[in-house]
Amino acid sequence: MTAGLARRSRESGLARLAGSPSLRLIGKRVLLAIPILLGVSVLAFWVLNLIPGGAAQQLLGADASQAQIRALEQELGLDKPAPLRYLDWLGGALTGDLGTSVVSGQQVTQMIGSHLAVSGQLVLLAFVISLGAAVPVALLAAFKPNGWFDRLSMLVSITGLSVANYVLAMLLVLVFAVNLTIFPAIGFVPFSENPVRNLHSLVLPALGIAAPLFCMYTRFLRGDLVDQLQGEDYITTARAKGIGPWRVLLLHAFRNSAFGLITVVGLNLGTLIGSTVIIEQIFALPGLGQLLLQAINTRDYMVVQACVVLFAVVTVAANLLADLLYAVLDPRIRYGSR
Amino acid sequence: MAVVESASGAPTTGPPARSRTRDLQITLPAVAIAMIGAACFLGPLVLPIPAPTGGSVLESYLPSFSAGHPLGTDPNGNDILSRILHGGRSSLIITLAVNGLGLVIGGALGALSGHLGGIADTVIMRVLDVLIAFPSLVLVLAVAQSLGPSRTNTILALTFFSVPAFARISRAATLRLREQPFMAAAELCGTSSGRILLRHLAPNVLPQLITFAMLGMGIIIVIEGALSFLGLGIPMPAPSWGNMIAQGQQSLSATPMLVVWPCVALFVTVLAFNLLGESLRSRWSGR
Repeated sequence: MTAGLARRSRESGLARLAGSPSLRLIGKRVLLAIPILLGVSVLAFWVLNLIPGGAAQQLLGADASQAQIRALEQELGLDKPAPLRYLDWLGGALTGDLGTSVVSGQQVTQMIGSHLAVSGQLVLLAFVISLGAAVPVALLAAFKPNGWFDRLSMLVSITGLSVANYVLAMLLVLVFAVNLTIFPAIGFVPFSENPVRNLHSLVLPALGIAAPLFCMYTRFLRGDLVDQLQGEDYITTARAKGIGPWRVLLLHAFRNSAFGLITVVGLNLGTLIGSTVIIEQIFALPGLGQLLLQAINTRDYMVVQACVVLFAVVTVAANLLADLLYAVLDPRIRYGSR
Repeated sequence: MAVVESASGAPTTGPPARSRTRDLQITLPAVAIAMIGAACFLGPLVLPIPAPTGGSVLESYLPSFSAGHPLGTDPNGNDILSRILHGGRSSLIITLAVNGLGLVIGGALGALSGHLGGIADTVIMRVLDVLIAFPSLVLVLAVAQSLGPSRTNTILALTFFSVPAFARISRAATLRLREQPFMAAAELCGTSSGRILLRHLAPNVLPQLITFAMLGMGIIIVIEGALSFLGLGIPMPAPSWGNMIAQGQQSLSATPMLVVWPCVALFVTVLAFNLLGESLRSRWSGR
């Protein structure tokens, strides 16, 4: 009797918790993300199975005998049917074991861990640079729409968006590494070894990634700010109260536009991962992108599979986080449609 | 293209000076694109330039503005101008094919998904969500590597990436249109689904898709370049801007122009497409 009461009161507590719109939203989005991730891993598995001649053939070379190929396939478990292999892999992946590299024999989880730090640092630095530059520029531009600064910043950002990141990276190397020799052209120094030289070696690659992002963020933020300033009632109210133009821009319009920017940043992360692949290749940085490219070239399918799924997890998680932050920050969504 | 645009732009309202600048904003990049296209497709036939491959090693690393080689030659003695024009040709073919396929397949899928709603909508959009969550360049790399580098496979790989983007836009536009009275009217008249899709939805969704395709042209050119740069797109010795940049990187400090020329070609082309896309977008949204 008492136990039943206790359970009921706990349930009602849980129910109250589950009834909160934010939490329900979070739960719904997380649940939606799971089938997407499963789909990505299945697709990756399927694409990798497309490799003509099979992985064992690729590893042994064209002139391997049938017996050799069969022996290796048995050793790698490749003779099992594909769905079974996928389930094997999924079971391992869920417990943190991404299998063993067929080329180096190392644990894939370990390989990824050591490369992840480099890519993570690169992306973080690129975010800091691009957002740090885009926010002040967009604010200045939106302060006087169609003023000279606005026109200049729009010209720069639309031009900048047309520069492919590898083109920009090449030009950066040409100017800063070859001609001026301020920064190293290639190579990476771990943070634990020498923090200053570590940053030094990451500046050019991070700039290569940050420049297009800066252009995108500036354009977006400026456009959104101008929309808010020109079309929204709360801005008129604020101005009517006699609040100064900078205060209106910073404390009223920017606070609202920041939500949109968060979403754009989150949605961008997927593209960003693509650009790290090519930037790491140009600057010879030992990051995930390089690991992936190497694995693709040596047909190290376990590593490719792990990288693809990891990238997808990051993309989905970033989108999810952007969605949720947006929902948590925007009261209309927090309390709105249930 | 330029003529069509300015003709359809004639009835826009607003002050004439403003609309003339707007027209110019569309005409100029359109003319630039037409010129780039003409140079890449007709140039090699009309101009007296050598073949893009099979050059003599004796003529390697000639500087820009040499006799017979206005932009110089690459490490294999091939004419750079010729390689840029031929590379641009395959770049444009790939980009047009990818965007065309994306527009047709993605546009149809998105419109269908938005129009049908319910389970069909959920299934189609979830499948496309998977493709969107799949990091685009990684997907393209994996497909290119699985199928081997070639022009057809590059197109196939990149189409995987363009279809979901077009589908999302088409679906969003369809959902917005569904609220319009004329759609309800069409349905109340008992018009068949197919006819609604083709005669009522398509003409309204298509402008948005075409605008997106213009913006997408630049993106696809860049990604195709990236693929070739990584050795997974157009295989050497066939020319492409991406593999020319990669080849030039080997001797960046000695002969920087090997990198600069294809970079310039890439930049100008992408800029022209982006400007056109932007102007088209502001025209459509300005109405």
